[in-house]
Amino acid sequence: MKNIIIILILISSVRAEAQNLITGFITSNKGDSLPGVSIYIKNTYDGTSTNAKGFFSFKTSATGSQFLVAQSVGYKNQELPIDLNASPIEIEIQLKEAIDQLNAVTITAGAMEASDENKAVVLKPLDIVTTPSAMGDIIGAFQTLPGTSTVGNDGRLFVRGGDASETAIFIDGLQVGNAFGTTASNVPTRTRFSPNLFKGSFFSTGGYSAEYGQALSSALALNTVDIPLRSQGDISIMSLGGGYTQTLVGKNNSLTASANYFDLAPYQSLIKQDFNWERSPYGWDVSLAANQKVGNGGILKAYFQKESNGFKLWQQQPGEIGKGNLIGIKNDYTYTQSNIKLIGKNNWSYTGGISYSENIDQFDLDSQNVRQQNRLIHAKGVAIKDFSDAISLKMGIESTWSAYEETLVNEGLSRDFLDQRYNLFLESDYYLSNQLIFRGGLRSGYSVLSDEFWVDPRASVSYKFEHEGQMSFAYGTFSQLPLEKFRVNNNSLGNTEAEHFILNYFISKNGRTFRAEAFHKSYDNLITFNGSNLAPEDISLSGSGYAKGMDFFYRDRKSIKETDFWVTYSFVDSKRRFDSFESKVQPSFAPKHNASIVAKHYVSALQSQIGMSFSFNDGYAYTNPNLAGEQYAKTKSFQNLSLSWSYLPKPNLIIHLACSNVLGRDNIFGYQYAPETNETGLVPGMPITQGAPRFLFMGIFLTLSKDKTANQLNNL
Amino acid sequence: MKKYILTIAISFIGLMNLMANDSAYVEAMKTQLEQFDQAKSPEEFQKVANAFSRIGEMNSNEWLPKYYAAFALTNAGFRTEGIKEKDAFFKQAQDLIDKAISENGENSELVAMKGYALMGELAADPAGRGQHMSGLVMSTFGKALSYDSENPRAMILMAQMEQGTAKFFGTGPEKACGMAKQSLQLFELEASYVNENPLAPKWGKDIAEKMTQQCQ
Repeated sequence: MKNIIIILILISSVRAEAQNLITGFITSNKGDSLPGVSIYIKNTYDGTSTNAKGFFSFKTSATGSQFLVAQSVGYKNQELPIDLNASPIEIEIQLKEAIDQLNAVTITAGAMEASDENKAVVLKPLDIVTTPSAMGDIIGAFQTLPGTSTVGNDGRLFVRGGDASETAIFIDGLQVGNAFGTTASNVPTRTRFSPNLFKGSFFSTGGYSAEYGQALSSALALNTVDIPLRSQGDISIMSLGGGYTQTLVGKNNSLTASANYFDLAPYQSLIKQDFNWERSPYGWDVSLAANQKVGNGGILKAYFQKESNGFKLWQQQPGEIGKGNLIGIKNDYTYTQSNIKLIGKNNWSYTGGISYSENIDQFDLDSQNVRQQNRLIHAKGVAIKDFSDAISLKMGIESTWSAYEETLVNEGLSRDFLDQRYNLFLESDYYLSNQLIFRGGLRSGYSVLSDEFWVDPRASVSYKFEHEGQMSFAYGTFSQLPLEKFRVNNNSLGNTEAEHFILNYFISKNGRTFRAEAFHKSYDNLITFNGSNLAPEDISLSGSGYAKGMDFFYRDRKSIKETDFWVTYSFVDSKRRFDSFESKVQPSFAPKHNASIVAKHYVSALQSQIGMSFSFNDGYAYTNPNLAGEQYAKTKSFQNLSLSWSYLPKPNLIIHLACSNVLGRDNIFGYQYAPETNETGLVPGMPITQGAPRFLFMGIFLTLSKDKTANQLNNL
Repeated sequence: MKKYILTIAISFIGLMNLMANDSAYVEAMKTQLEQFDQAKSPEEFQKVANAFSRIGEMNSNEWLPKYYAAFALTNAGFRTEGIKEKDAFFKQAQDLIDKAISENGENSELVAMKGYALMGELAADPAGRGQHMSGLVMSTFGKALSYDSENPRAMILMAQMEQGTAKFFGTGPEKACGMAKQSLQLFELEASYVNENPLAPKWGKDIAEKMTQQCQ
């Protein structure tokens, strides 16, 4: 009996005595020795890490058949069966590189990302608010990026020889109808959406994913904030109006309600305007955002925005004396959407949502009253499957319902159309290694109204060099149905088309980013018509054209202390036959040379950030009917130097001052001509100018929160 | 009788094994904590982090191994050059903390450590990340203090963040210094308790001392 106990005790203590030595070294699949790899016997405490040369050596008291595990970040774990009875053991292990988000190549051709999360980023979300020339408008900040042209009498986004309607805007993947405020011709507009709504954005100047359609030139995808950091109230008092936003944050949900009012009348009565306003622009908006976390990492979002605004303006006509024509505009806009993101089992994830946009414009042109109504419903479901860390597949289905109606109120005449569109898309990413990625996609569509079916292929490839720079190439075809005003005239009009080739080089390292891109875009089936823009006749898809060029971007927040700056230059050579032009011409919205510089400098002693931005282009082409040919004339160059000053006297208070076109340059965007010659035998013309030499902005922003750490840093 | 003795003997050995396992855990942790104190280079901290991770794999019900592994990686991050290289360490640390939180539940120390790793990420590129990350880091330390208002580490780390923010806003060091002083009192309070867990986090007093000295 005693013996049994002694034996049992012996057995239990014998474990600590046998010591087997394991030595070896670890390399990567490229043959480099790997330091810092954790290596151990599975289910024991016995193990070590490799030294600087990849060697390791440790003792274990384990015996028999065991598993040796090697682990290192950026590599796939390896488990090797070993027999510890055959001690001493010498072993060589090769670790396979894992595809990891932190180091893998990304596709940068055509793409510019503004986010806090990804590495291939050119802008931070905050840059959108702090770019002086932007005046808080999202699009204003994007206009300082390569590939864009500033068209100062329009305000929308013009990309690489494309007109503004060729850029589609998406919020959380859902299409937004009439994202820009309604305006009169030659009066610049702004986006309707507050930059504070978004945590990041993805701006593509071509060759973009099969997920996006109905855009010939460019896609701008904005992603809304998930759950804000804290409950707070934000008060804004501005030279043009004011607003209040209340944010309530729970453990798994949040609610943000906002109301704003603006009226330019007091400002415009103090500061002399070149435009003759009968009623200065005014308006209000309210919005509500509710977000709820669901499941494991999923989120459900709902957003609602309603706004109303208007103005009345005297527009002088060339060759006429007097105040000209009075144009009045009243706009009502509603946008609402809901979307959900769910993380499923087996590496599936799903997103889906539905958006509704409604835009009603009432134009009063002297005796004529025109009412236009656009409605758009976009529903979309996307499933993503990661087959491994190297291969993923994205599939989506979309249905779009768009309705348009225009009415001549006094005459009681009206016409309309309704279109339904269905789209399917499929896209796959395939990483051959951390250095090389392929992406291929297909997007198909069908329009009920034009009874047309189409398929657009897209493809891109990207390679990352040893020095961390990367080269991308993208190709794609893009289809877009014509503007409503043409489709309502001719229901059978099918797609306008574009084809993109893009070659891109991108490097971002320790606070400096450089990006260069060359592109070629060809257009086909562009809209052409006879007569004037307001009353087009014989509308058909017989136009075509091209845009080619290159652009450069350099950003640096390292070289000069407390200073962040970026410089862009874009060259665009574009000609197209479109609208009522009889030959291929350079469009007025596609200046050849475009450049901008933005710089921000923080001065601690003044508790202030000083911002500067300068935009330049070599002038807009226009047609002078007194000369032969079309679009042979060019305006003088466009230049705009803007300055801003943000002062933070207290962490929760920010005072912002900005002035556009500080030098007061008299920019001209083109010329307007009378329909007929006058007594001198010439067609009288007049320049299209700015509304005022400068625009001054002052705002006071105060954050109220129980959280004492709340500050305005994130609004700077 | 024989059977009875045998049962006792076997269950005794079982108990011994259990204690041995338990003490093996404590021993392994103690050994690595000593290694931790001696570590200076990122490589040494990586080695310690690896060892803590191994202990963590063996004892998935314990949060401390993952906590110390994350702490070692954060230390490695602060001592490494290059944004990308630093990020690799801080991201690993954050992943470990997230794992510990999902496996073992959230507590003040884990949240404070997450804040520390986030602070490291911010400090790697203050010009590029200061604006959007400072709020997150501050609220993470705030959350740690809401779990345990007497956590001296959460307090001193928050004081450091506050110091940076005050410098930026040019608002004077009073608030940061007050927090540093307060954390020093909390460290003393912590030392006066007899902690039932010999492995519980105790680090950070030197930071508080240094900062309060600078404040004077």
